[in-house]
Amino acid sequence: MTDVLTRQELLRRAAAGGALFTVPGFLAACGGSSSKSASSGTSHTLAKTLRFSNWTLYIDVNKKGHPSLVQFQKKTGVHVQYTEDINDNATYFGKIQGPLSRGQSIDRDIIVMTDNSRYPSLLIKKGWVEKLDKSAIPNIKNLQPTLQHPSWDPNRDYSLPWQSGLTGIAYNDKLTDPILTVPDLLENPKLKGKITLLEGVGDTMPLIMAANGDDPTKVTDASWDRGIKRVKKAVDSGQIRQFTGNDYSGLLAKGDLKACFAWSGDVVQLEADNKHLHWNLPTDGGGIWTDNMLIPNGGNVYTASVYMNFAYDPKIAAEIEDYVNYICPVVGAKDVLLKQDPSIAKNTLIFPTAKMLDNAHNFDAAALNNEKYITAWQNLISG
Amino acid sequence: MNAIAAPASARNRAVGGAWAFVRRHVLTVYSILVFTYLMLPIGVVIAFSFNNPTGRFNYVWDGFTLDNWKNWDGVPGLRSAMVLSIEIAVVASVLATVLGTLIALALVRYGFRGRGATNLLIFLPLSTPEIVLGASLLTLFLNLNFVFGFTTILIAHVMFCISFAVVTVKARLIGFDRHLEEAAMDLGANEWATFRKVTLPLIAPAILASLLLCFAISIDDFVVTYFNAGPRITFPLFVWGAARIGAPPQVNVIGSVIFLFAVSAMVTNVLVQMRREKARATA
Amino acid sequence: MGVLHRHRSLTPYLLLAPGLLYLGLFFVVPLGFLAYQSLESGSFDVGYAFTWAWGNYWDAIRGYRGHFVRSLEYAGIATALALLVSYPLAYWIAFRGGRWKNLLLLFIVAPFFVTYLIRTLAWETILADQGPVVRVLRDVGVLGPNGRLLATSVAVVAGITYNFLPFMALPLYVSLEQIDQRLVEAAQDLYASKWRAFLRVTLPLSLPGVVAGTLLTFIPAAGDFINAQLLGSPRQHMIGNVIQSKFLELTDYPSAASMSFVLMAAILLFVAVYARAVGTEKLTG
Repeated sequence: MTDVLTRQELLRRAAAGGALFTVPGFLAACGGSSSKSASSGTSHTLAKTLRFSNWTLYIDVNKKGHPSLVQFQKKTGVHVQYTEDINDNATYFGKIQGPLSRGQSIDRDIIVMTDNSRYPSLLIKKGWVEKLDKSAIPNIKNLQPTLQHPSWDPNRDYSLPWQSGLTGIAYNDKLTDPILTVPDLLENPKLKGKITLLEGVGDTMPLIMAANGDDPTKVTDASWDRGIKRVKKAVDSGQIRQFTGNDYSGLLAKGDLKACFAWSGDVVQLEADNKHLHWNLPTDGGGIWTDNMLIPNGGNVYTASVYMNFAYDPKIAAEIEDYVNYICPVVGAKDVLLKQDPSIAKNTLIFPTAKMLDNAHNFDAAALNNEKYITAWQNLISG
Repeated sequence: MNAIAAPASARNRAVGGAWAFVRRHVLTVYSILVFTYLMLPIGVVIAFSFNNPTGRFNYVWDGFTLDNWKNWDGVPGLRSAMVLSIEIAVVASVLATVLGTLIALALVRYGFRGRGATNLLIFLPLSTPEIVLGASLLTLFLNLNFVFGFTTILIAHVMFCISFAVVTVKARLIGFDRHLEEAAMDLGANEWATFRKVTLPLIAPAILASLLLCFAISIDDFVVTYFNAGPRITFPLFVWGAARIGAPPQVNVIGSVIFLFAVSAMVTNVLVQMRREKARATA
Repeated sequence: MGVLHRHRSLTPYLLLAPGLLYLGLFFVVPLGFLAYQSLESGSFDVGYAFTWAWGNYWDAIRGYRGHFVRSLEYAGIATALALLVSYPLAYWIAFRGGRWKNLLLLFIVAPFFVTYLIRTLAWETILADQGPVVRVLRDVGVLGPNGRLLATSVAVVAGITYNFLPFMALPLYVSLEQIDQRLVEAAQDLYASKWRAFLRVTLPLSLPGVVAGTLLTFIPAAGDFINAQLLGSPRQHMIGNVIQSKFLELTDYPSAASMSFVLMAAILLFVAVYARAVGTEKLTG
């Protein structure tokens, strides 16, 4: 326990003035504790600092800082050390697997990872994340019903969604007729060389498999083969120009692409500049993904859980949503926003309808971790 | 020359004159073209720093505004990221250049056992893919129980900059005329004084080039920094993260700053020269 | 000219010590760990164990030979282009730059202050299908009516060339600036032709800079991945992209490590051949 307190002391000073990164702080942390993770599982005392790692620009912000985090501090006395050092699941995992595999703490209480990648399920499988203290999260009842039982964490024991997003097809009506189905995207000759798919297997394959009539949440060798064959055909024919991360947004905005797989949150922003851009879930089925809060080994479970409860208060969720504009996982936030900012509340890309959510599927987490599948996928997108 | 040839040679001289004019300036024109090519992306960046995007992406021109420049500090974390990047780049380039110059001197001027191995050691970091370099360094730091932050970023940057410093300074030392140094020593200077007063000034352009190169590499590095920065955010880390949601125009503003710094240094230089010449003319 | 002193003194070792010790700790040790990893086998789930798995190297070469070759090709072409573009520029700054030399050098590295990602995205804007460059090329006939630059090998090589230009230009400048103008003038008098004076005097004297620039450009360019990722299609992906995906997406650390060593070996082989071809230690130090 003393190890954990010492680190937190140092970090509090760091939050105050960067003292940790001076020579004394460096030496103090260097020779002594090997910072082995000691999970403060069942204690119900709040830590002085909450160390929260999140994606960039993924929380409400104004010139002075983050209003919702300031509110949290006022309410609980806990200072939030908020770091925006996650910009890609794979790269972040590559960084934290070092310490975590050695049983060392990564000095975080909350991290956020996306479930269209294999990493949340991998973290759970490896035992590198802690169980939430649900007794501290009564607001968990506000979680959207469709998000309550993902295949990789069926009882939400380890994770809680931060934001969600939908994966569908975006098209530019100035350059093409509406593209509403995956087969149209992959096989329409007029789109040759003017489309992109997403480079994440968990983003693209659910849509492909749904178009084949297969169930993306339960992948079999046969359904996988059908799906990847279809994509390979489109790659070989030159139909698919590139596999992108979110850099499709620039290409779409400038008219280099006629249509592409796209995330709902991006299109909200792109539409503001270009009224010709439209986005739909494919008729056969689209994808839904969630960025999830997780507590890594060595994190303070109780404090993290208290924060999660705070974030699931519909008023706070509405504040955050007003800025972030992805899909809010908290029931009740929409009603709050209807009064404060109706244009956001009525945007179906931010608050999708039940019909939309029914037609959006997660990808089978087992498939995400299947070495054969993911190696085949990487070989496909890397030539 | 006879009378018939005279007009011909006059014409030749005219053509020759025109050709000489072109030849004298073609290199300048070419260089201006290359600089334009180098600056093209910066031009785009600066142009879009005046954009007023409706959404969060800054890809399409929506309208001119000076707000981004007036409000240049409006994105929390952006300024501190840039400051950190510059701090690290300054220190790393100095340290790498010092260490690299020493190695270069040894390699070019002395015979010793292990020259081949040293050369190999210098080229290896250049050829190692950043992802495995960053991850392996991370492992080292974990095993040594280092705290991640400014120090680890600095160590990493110096490490991969040394090779660039060595190669750059070596290029200067190879053509170096030792006779100047020998003359100085004959005149009574000891080795250190000779180094300080003769060698160093003569290799100064290489030192400057090495500083600039290392500075540029350090301020631009992403992969190795990402793995070893701990909670600190440098400018490239911030930008790569922000680009997912839409990098705010203030990123363009801050990115334009160094270009403007270079331009204003140039303009100041010109003005100072003009004033000096005017003073000399009126004196 | 550089004269090698066969000192029996400690001087060279004292000069080398700080830098080499630094590299020894912060590069060689991590590299050793990487080598250890490259000989492991297993999977991320059950864990990796050291088994002298030399097969990893063979798998790397066999499975991704095309990527290795392509990477060396792209790097080679980009280096040649960078040399062609940079040499006249470095010459101009060195000989005609006058009092502005240092500022001009600053302009060469100025693009680096605008992160790699933003530079490349700006090129995406400039080379866009509907953009001015492609339109002109289509009008002139260089590109077909549906031709494009982005997502082709042209864009990838152009991107690599652009991003490594300073690595070529600065060493070239360093070497050119040292050349005594009087030698050049004397040569011009003797040869009665500026061009021959250049070929016979300036060019040979600048070779150390050419060698330095070539190495500083080719070596890192071969391992680049960003240009292929953003400006290329899957057919242009380089070995750097594969190593990235092996490490990050597939968490296959032995594969990534062994591939990296194969790449390093290939690069160093090229460098050794190049150094032999270029000549004596006088040029490579």
